[in-house]
Amino acid sequence: MTDPRRARYVALFAAESRSLLASARRTLAVWLDAPDDPAPADEIFRVLHTIKGMAASLEFDAITNLSHDTETDLVTVRDAKAPVERSWLATLEATMDALALACDAAVEAEQGEPSPGTDARDEAPESVRIVRVDLARLDALFDDLGGLVTARQELERRAEADSLSPVARAAQAMGRRLNAVQDRILDVRLAPLSEVFERIPPVVRDLARQLGKETKVEVRGDDLEVDRAVLDQIAEPLIHLLRNAVDHGLETPEVRRALGKRAAGTIRVHARRDRDAVVVELSDDGRGIDRQAVAARAVAQGILEKDTDLDDDGLLALLARPGFSTATAISDVSGRGVGLDVVASRLRDLGAALGLTTVLGHGSTFVVRLPTRLGIVRALIASVGEEHYVMPLTHVAEFLPWEPDAVRDLDGRSVIDLRGEPIPIVDLRRLLLYRGAPVPSRRPAFVLEANGQRVALLADALHGQVDAVVQPMDRPRGMPRWITGATVLDNGRPAVMLDLASVV
Amino acid sequence: MAHRVLICDDAIFMRTMIADILTGAGYEVVGEAESGLQAVERYKALLPDIVTMDIVMPDMGGIDAVKAITSAHPDAKILMCSAMGQQALVVEAIQAGAKDFVVKPFQPARVLEAVQRVLAG
Repeated sequence: MTDPRRARYVALFAAESRSLLASARRTLAVWLDAPDDPAPADEIFRVLHTIKGMAASLEFDAITNLSHDTETDLVTVRDAKAPVERSWLATLEATMDALALACDAAVEAEQGEPSPGTDARDEAPESVRIVRVDLARLDALFDDLGGLVTARQELERRAEADSLSPVARAAQAMGRRLNAVQDRILDVRLAPLSEVFERIPPVVRDLARQLGKETKVEVRGDDLEVDRAVLDQIAEPLIHLLRNAVDHGLETPEVRRALGKRAAGTIRVHARRDRDAVVVELSDDGRGIDRQAVAARAVAQGILEKDTDLDDDGLLALLARPGFSTATAISDVSGRGVGLDVVASRLRDLGAALGLTTVLGHGSTFVVRLPTRLGIVRALIASVGEEHYVMPLTHVAEFLPWEPDAVRDLDGRSVIDLRGEPIPIVDLRRLLLYRGAPVPSRRPAFVLEANGQRVALLADALHGQVDAVVQPMDRPRGMPRWITGATVLDNGRPAVMLDLASVV
Repeated sequence: MAHRVLICDDAIFMRTMIADILTGAGYEVVGEAESGLQAVERYKALLPDIVTMDIVMPDMGGIDAVKAITSAHPDAKILMCSAMGQQALVVEAIQAGAKDFVVKPFQPARVLEAVQRVLAG
């Protein structure tokens, strides 16, 4: 798009149509509960009318026509002054969904990519004065903050020698202020989940209709806030999980009735706060995942021992393996060459964790644990040769003294015995393909624990801990999945952030 | 001195578009309202030279807002903004005291002509 003024109008259209359609959806839900009350008709009419006006101004003809026709129908029904039929309301709901998808499509066609990032915030109370800020400016502020945190650590390290000196006290005071600034900047970056959740019901219902299935979508907790960078990346993996739920999880109405279930399957998208994270649960009440079928396939592929008891974590680990899939036929909707492995790695890049519980015959729940704030994480600094790496401490279980004798060979893998239990060893040198300085004689090792598994990681040296401000990186193709970001150490040197969970 | 305009429309999109057209031609947008009630309030507070008024708005529609404004300020200069297919409502608005109307989607030249006509009239 070359015309900046049009770009601005399209962005306004995107934000405003989304917020209007979301409010129409809420109104429609009220109407479905009480079809005799004519009041919701006016509110929905107003939404359609406003969207029509905006779409006409941008020459989005399909949207203009669809909203005009729906508006006309609505007026006919309203003026008939008779109670509306539920079936008509269901059709109206389908039309509103189609309209939402058409608006998203028109905006995407023009902007080149989905942008859930614009928000009109026109519901803000009168007394709140709002300034729109380009995210790039906030990112720049965040970069500067990273530099300040680093400088502060250097200052604190030097002041340590005499903790009562005026310099040390000034450093402490500055540290407290800096923490407050850090919190404030991170707060400014927060945005409500509703920006993404609003798009979910139409997508799910549209998909269900294509597949001849019936659904009820329940969304809760969409007022919770997460960092803008997390929010902007989360829509695609969530929608992918929901597509899977509708496509593979939910049964057809006939099958459901035969099973004694309600014809319409329920898809729940519930968000809740859990300590410093926001947990999003995506559940369906469909057929659940067939553990035995997955296990059989894994055994056949030689990646699982026969007769292994597969718990939910183990099941998820298998399903998230690149290329592993139980779908026998590639369906039109979720068989787009992107599997759970890609979803899982996308989420990992965001610092989010994926969990699963599933009960055969009763449905599945995917649990996505989102960081609410961009990362300032307590991290361990380790080095290989001259290269420094940082890794979040969350997964570090314990440190091991290095004793070469403790390492032995088990089925072709190097393991180290920890309290009688063999733990596989991962050498950072090998992982990072490092071929520089010679291997030191003594090397520290530490135990990582993630997804219920443990490995011992071997470095050349450890250099203590830091508060690392993690900058998300644009990932070039082919970058190993365990590299998740970059930070600057207090000596001013850049260090790569490793995601230890994916090493395990 | 530039003429002072109050823009009333429930869509930020439309307000932005009208404001762009008018400020580009040297008008001063002194206020915006996103409902009929707000339009009446802002009119009283700002006493603008001209008002652009959408018809379909929450709380109080544009036509009722025109009635409320003109009953207290018979000389108020109000330009209705209507969508296609709202001829009946436009007639009602003119009877209520609006001076002229433009039809969405807006063509900048048409909007400016109508504003000049209303200010001159």
